[in-house]
Amino acid sequence: MMADEAGRAGHGSGSRTGAVSLEFRGVTKRYGHSAQARGAVNDLSLEVPAGAICVLVGPSGCGKTTSLKMVNRLIEPTAGQILLDGVNVLTEDVTELRRRIGYVIQHVGLFPHLTVGRNVAVVPALVGWSKERQLARADELLSLVGLDPAGYRSRYPFQLSGGERQRVGVARALAADPPLMLMDEPFAAVDPIVRERLQDEFLRLQRDLAKTILFVTHDIDEAIKMGDLIAVMEEGGRLAQFGPPDEILAHPASDFVARFVGADRGLKRLSLVTIADLELAPIAASAPPGLPTFSPSTKLRDALSVLLAADSRGGVALDEEGQPCGFVTVDAIASALAEDRQPAATRSGGVTRQGATGVGAAAGDDS
Amino acid sequence: MDLIGATAAWLSDPAHWQGANGIPSRLFEHVALSGGSLALATLVALPLGLWIGHTGRISWLVVTSANAWRALPSFAVIGLLVPFTTVLDANLGFTLYPTLVAMVVLAGPPILVNAYQGVADVDTDLVEAARAMGMKERQILLGVEMPIALPVLATGIRSAAVQVIATATLGSAFGFGGLGRFIVLGDANKDNGELFGGVVLVAALALTTLGLFLLLERRLVSAGLARRTAG
Ligand SMILES: Nc1ncnc2c1ncn2[C@@H]1O[C@H](COP(=O)(O)OP(=O)(O)O)[C@@H](O)[C@H]1O
Ligand SMILES: [Mg+2]
Repeated sequence: MMADEAGRAGHGSGSRTGAVSLEFRGVTKRYGHSAQARGAVNDLSLEVPAGAICVLVGPSGCGKTTSLKMVNRLIEPTAGQILLDGVNVLTEDVTELRRRIGYVIQHVGLFPHLTVGRNVAVVPALVGWSKERQLARADELLSLVGLDPAGYRSRYPFQLSGGERQRVGVARALAADPPLMLMDEPFAAVDPIVRERLQDEFLRLQRDLAKTILFVTHDIDEAIKMGDLIAVMEEGGRLAQFGPPDEILAHPASDFVARFVGADRGLKRLSLVTIADLELAPIAASAPPGLPTFSPSTKLRDALSVLLAADSRGGVALDEEGQPCGFVTVDAIASALAEDRQPAATRSGGVTRQGATGVGAAAGDDS
Repeated sequence: MDLIGATAAWLSDPAHWQGANGIPSRLFEHVALSGGSLALATLVALPLGLWIGHTGRISWLVVTSANAWRALPSFAVIGLLVPFTTVLDANLGFTLYPTLVAMVVLAGPPILVNAYQGVADVDTDLVEAARAMGMKERQILLGVEMPIALPVLATGIRSAAVQVIATATLGSAFGFGGLGRFIVLGDANKDNGELFGGVVLVAALALTTLGLFLLLERRLVSAGLARRTAG
């Protein structure tokens, strides 16, 4: 397994992490043969740099799943091209292609007749790894997704909770170390608490793995949380806007996008920024004792909520060692919304900016 | 003599357990022909049913006709075949052939319909997940659909086996051997011991077959498919 720093540094450099870049170029899909048939996906163009998570988000029926399935050719496009590192997927051997792409779906699709260990090892078995290597890999991946191999490898899927199944689904998709992962509402079938935990764990994993990920959800909050880039799609399979989360929230390109991201988009933007990103005022000597304190990783949205609840105009920011290092005010938090921030340092900055440019969709031309 | 006593006496008479007309050789005939026709029927119907279930092609046609065929009484099938098989061979065409053909054609439909149904009922998301992982169609069929469909599929083969044993018994009315001979002869000779001895033997064979198939299924079907509570 790659060292933590190597994985992080590898963001955006496909060669080092084995991630690939993904591009949709004028992709259209119409079901049925008549020219009149309504398009499920309409002239979709977007670029996802290697190592980034791109979230396709939009209301049900807007063509997210169809877009995703065209990447691994479960569905063939009516027109346009999908390129992995510049190579059209249609020119590749379909079986080879699919074995290099991890696939996670909502209802997981674990094979009920196989144990957890063998489910995880499906692709390694297909590509002919030795039995020992398969078993070792399955154990390694179960640990990676937080399941003790000794306790889980011999269980059957029906003996798992929903959250455990999703973890196994992710482990299975990672088994052959694919450079690209397709995830279709992977966390939609579990309860909100488990979902949050799975999202956090997955983001932590991704910091090391730095895969290129195409992630489908209908939930804008999940999109904001998971995405380095967000593609908002609307009815008829059209791309409504494409860009980093903060840009989508700060500058919705249309009424549709504004409505879709919600009236609380200002607050949502605050959840993209942490105390560590904030310009801090010095702590005044006259500051009263007992003010709320915030760790560097506290989201501004939560900080604001705490300040409002405490009916306090300010709080104390703590550094990594827990020492006071500055003063946080409601005004400072509010002014964070005013700026057009570059994506936070904790996100994959280079990747995001690179991805947002050169895309001829609705994004970016509103400023 | 009462019926049970007569039957027990007939069954326990050592003379009935030897020779070409004895119980072991009739049992052998019955089992060999049942097994043979079941194997033949399986060989044809199983791959066909699996393929139709996997591709969904011509499923309507095949399943409808198989079900209609299934509704035909065995006795009628044997009788209907006689005019055709006697053309082939005046002697065997009246005894062995019609029964054998009837056994095969009657065993086919349950195997075919269940193989089709079992495979067609496998969750389409699961099949798509398998495809998305880079399994080839044959690997999906043999490695995913068939193991998951196994309980349904096995039920088809099991009922075909019982069907075949019953049909072989009926065939005796047309001069075919097997355990049904005892029933036919017992009836003709007004020998209730022999008649019911034959009935008991056929029933025992059918039940034993059923039991063996169930045991085999328990061994072959994945524990992951048995919806037991988590252990
Ligand atoms: N196999 C299909 N045949 C015909 N229409 C389909 C098929 N799959 C999806 N569609 C239609 O295409 C549109 C987009 O579907 P989908 O990509 O599944 O949307 P989403 O995943 O965003 O909910 C929908 O209107 C849906 O009804
Ligand atoms: Mg969908």
